[in-house]
Amino acid sequence: MLVAISFYLLAFVAIASAFMVVASRNPVHSVMFLIVTFFSAAGLFILMGAEFLALLLVMVYVGAVAVLFLFVVMMLDVDFVELKQGFLQYLPFGFVVALILLAEMIMVGAAYFTGETKALATYSGEKSNLERFGEVLYTDYAFFFEAAGLVLLVAMIGAIVLTLRERDGVRKQDITKQVGRTRETAIEMVDIESGQGVG
Amino acid sequence: MTDFLLGYLPVLILFGIALALSIAFLLIPAIIAPKQPDTEKLSTYECGFNAFDDSRMKFDVQFYLVAILFIIFDLEVAFLFPYAVSAGHLGNYAWVVVMIFLLELTAGLVYAWKKGALDWH
Amino acid sequence: MIIGLAHYLTVAAILFTIGVFGIFVNRKNVIIILMCVELILLAVNINFVAFSTHMVETGANEPLAGQIFALFILTVAAAEAAVGLAILVVYFRNRGNIAVEDIDLMKG
Repeated sequence: MLVAISFYLLAFVAIASAFMVVASRNPVHSVMFLIVTFFSAAGLFILMGAEFLALLLVMVYVGAVAVLFLFVVMMLDVDFVELKQGFLQYLPFGFVVALILLAEMIMVGAAYFTGETKALATYSGEKSNLERFGEVLYTDYAFFFEAAGLVLLVAMIGAIVLTLRERDGVRKQDITKQVGRTRETAIEMVDIESGQGVG
Repeated sequence: MTDFLLGYLPVLILFGIALALSIAFLLIPAIIAPKQPDTEKLSTYECGFNAFDDSRMKFDVQFYLVAILFIIFDLEVAFLFPYAVSAGHLGNYAWVVVMIFLLELTAGLVYAWKKGALDWH
Repeated sequence: MIIGLAHYLTVAAILFTIGVFGIFVNRKNVIIILMCVELILLAVNINFVAFSTHMVETGANEPLAGQIFALFILTVAAAEAAVGLAILVVYFRNRGNIAVEDIDLMKG
């Protein structure tokens, strides 16, 4: 009973806030609703028994990706009211597409899965979700694991290449340059005759 | 199944307490605080002149770069959690796999360092 | 009242549809479109986890495979968000706005 209540509560919050992501006028509010959506999705994951993924979702999405989105919304000084125009224009078309898609997916799902309630596999073992992850992730799925590392590497390099720029007029400390100075490059000896000036 | 979820009952109770407290903090002032609204209370006073501009201002791209690097390393650590739990009975193969993974990310860190993405100026 | 696989799949289907709907409706705002992509990926993740946790272990299959896959999707989604937003920042720096309709420089 408690499970059913939690499920319906979390599912309702997730769907309602996902809708608000799309519908809200201010993109900052959209990001906030995205956080709520991911949070309740994490609750659904826990309900299903995928503890590790649930906490990962909170850590990565609520902790990092949402902050990234907020940064970009704040950083780009855009007139968002202007961007919101055309919302009503595309609304009917969007609704039609969405309804058709939803009807198809629910029909396909309902045709196969109604009435079946099987025991959850994750609950059965005495090992925790995290331990079972560890057993397969670094052995059976080793190559995928390395590929994920490469994806992260490429993302990091890509982001640095795209956003990092050398700006003029910024005084920076260059240690090699400092240490590499010699007496010859630093001091200039000038003989000045008296009464003439440096000129 | 319910045994497993009962382990999360404390978390649920904590959320309940947090929710009740925050609602209480919102409601109690609304009920017991003295209210004497006055337009002068909202008007600008001495140095508080009207705002020239939108409160949203552009800020520097460096913050964004730090946030990206944070995400990447956040995920890297997330990938290592299962290893921390089950390293004891995984053997050498898994160790090598994890070390290669760490090497990939170290390459990224070295790149970021050399490029000066971690410098603040 | 037992919550089965079909319930979770329905939630995922609705989330997916909201994501697609959002892309159609907010055609001018790239940031919202990126958020909608995140929603779609979340729906896919819910599907993967639901199938993974409701799978009956026979010995020949690995029920955790779905969750491992969801983990990789999470990684790719975060990387996508990072690089996509970086592209957005650079585009804004060059052009001064982020209207999707103006991004047609590669039109043939």
